[in-house]
Amino acid sequence: MSAMLSVERLTRRYGPGCDRCLASTGPAHGTNSCPHCGTVVACADVSFDVEDGEVLGIVGESGSGKSTVAACLAFDQPPTSGQAFLEGFDGDMLSADAAARRRLRNTRIGIVYQTPQQGLALDVTTGGNVGERLLAADWRHVGRIRARASDLLERTEIPIARIDEEPRAFSGGMRQRVQLAKALASRPSLLILDEPTTGLDVSVQARILDLIQGIQREAGVAMVVISHDLGVIRLLTERTLVMKLGRVVEEGLTDQVLEDPQDAYTQLLVNSAL
Amino acid sequence: MNVRTLLDTPVPEPGPAYNYAFLDEGTKREIRRAVLKAVAIPGHQVPFGSREMPLGRGWGTGGLQLSLSLLGEGECFKAIDQGADDSVNAVNMRRLVAAMTDAEPVTDTRAATLVQSRHRIPEERLRPDQTLVLQVPAPEPLSWIEPRYAQTQRMHAERDYSPMWLYLYESIARHGEIAVGANYPVIVDGHYLMSPTPIPRWDVPKLDRAPFLTLLGAGREKRIYAVPPHTSVVPLEFEDYRFQVERFAQPCARCGATDAYLDEVLDPRSGETVCFTCSDTAHCELRRTEAQR
Repeated sequence: MSAMLSVERLTRRYGPGCDRCLASTGPAHGTNSCPHCGTVVACADVSFDVEDGEVLGIVGESGSGKSTVAACLAFDQPPTSGQAFLEGFDGDMLSADAAARRRLRNTRIGIVYQTPQQGLALDVTTGGNVGERLLAADWRHVGRIRARASDLLERTEIPIARIDEEPRAFSGGMRQRVQLAKALASRPSLLILDEPTTGLDVSVQARILDLIQGIQREAGVAMVVISHDLGVIRLLTERTLVMKLGRVVEEGLTDQVLEDPQDAYTQLLVNSAL
Repeated sequence: MNVRTLLDTPVPEPGPAYNYAFLDEGTKREIRRAVLKAVAIPGHQVPFGSREMPLGRGWGTGGLQLSLSLLGEGECFKAIDQGADDSVNAVNMRRLVAAMTDAEPVTDTRAATLVQSRHRIPEERLRPDQTLVLQVPAPEPLSWIEPRYAQTQRMHAERDYSPMWLYLYESIARHGEIAVGANYPVIVDGHYLMSPTPIPRWDVPKLDRAPFLTLLGAGREKRIYAVPPHTSVVPLEFEDYRFQVERFAQPCARCGATDAYLDEVLDPRSGETVCFTCSDTAHCELRRTEAQR
């Protein structure tokens, strides 16, 4: 089985940067900001593979760099260094030209953000939000766009009668489901879920997690799930990376990582879970 | 030098008050350069240093600067405003051009070598030896959806026009049709999205693979762009929501034309429609004189 996504030594710094940044930050130093130049090393040397149909979790506390990894893979942030290879795309996708990146982003990669404002235009109709990815993929038939949007809204349990309403009028849980429908519109090969259920109440969380599981089973899409919530990671993922201060500190099968954590930080994380 | 000698010094003979065609030679050269670049990159907006003109910005200063930098001896100049040769703005522009250049002012479209127009393309089919100059209020079609200039530049460069398509989709979702009356967005030469100026949809097909050169000038926004002859101009449309031109229930009340763009004439008191008449007054006039013969 070939990897759907292969990430190699992904690094993202914020600041001027110096030769000693990487050697002076990370869990061993207890900080992610370089004492010499003040640069914040959001993530460094992050490497992993995601197989076709696999669900990979990235867990870690706030500020551990997990969302930066997501932002780099969704082209929202340019990485400082590192490469990523997506199956079927020739070469490193992170250094592709802007038009190629946009095409990948619109057709092959879907992302669900923690806040719907990031992923949705709240003043554009729900159908338009979902259809935007289809329009970007050169769909030029309104009827077919609406049919596909309706299918996805039905799948994500949004009443189809509300297809021409703005997500502004929707609850937080509904907006999150619209984001999911939008991310799935162009049948992506890779779905990135960046804290998809954070900030939602428990019953709504459960429905969205159910939905994600169902979609994963049906579509077999490769997923990267980013969360600080071990419950979400346990439920959705097969393999997990644990991040701390921008570095991967532990990696393994999710059950193994959560039942028998090796790294001190992971032990703390598991023991802190309510 | 005392006052006496100053007063005794003969006053030099005044030269001509203005340069030929009002603009100085450097400006004309700059505008012609911008035109050459615009013709070389169809639909691309070329910046130029728009000058103060003897009419208000937004009243056709871009079109006028184009016309003045192009008109020479033996040219015939026609100015129209919403299809009419006799509106105040068109008359004043024609007078200015007549006073400042050797070009002959005309109203017959067939006689003109250069037609400057606001918001219409003449009904008479223009020939390869004629040039159309359109006055542009807002050159950037993406300004409907993206106010940031740097972003629109990027979108043009990458041909990232899906937000424009989304705008049209939204129009259909909310109104059941593409609710764009004038200034219908078009793709020029398979690349740039272009604002054809607020011409009615009726006039948009006249630009597609037209035998004549169209120059578009935005004085206030300082942009010049062009559609060279035989260049494709394709309105954005969906497979199931096609671009459509306006349709009129009645013929022109004056010349009986059924194949021309008509203006609705309203009763100013009741607000009811009295009749429809040709928007292109010269064409209407021509049809009537031909009918009388």
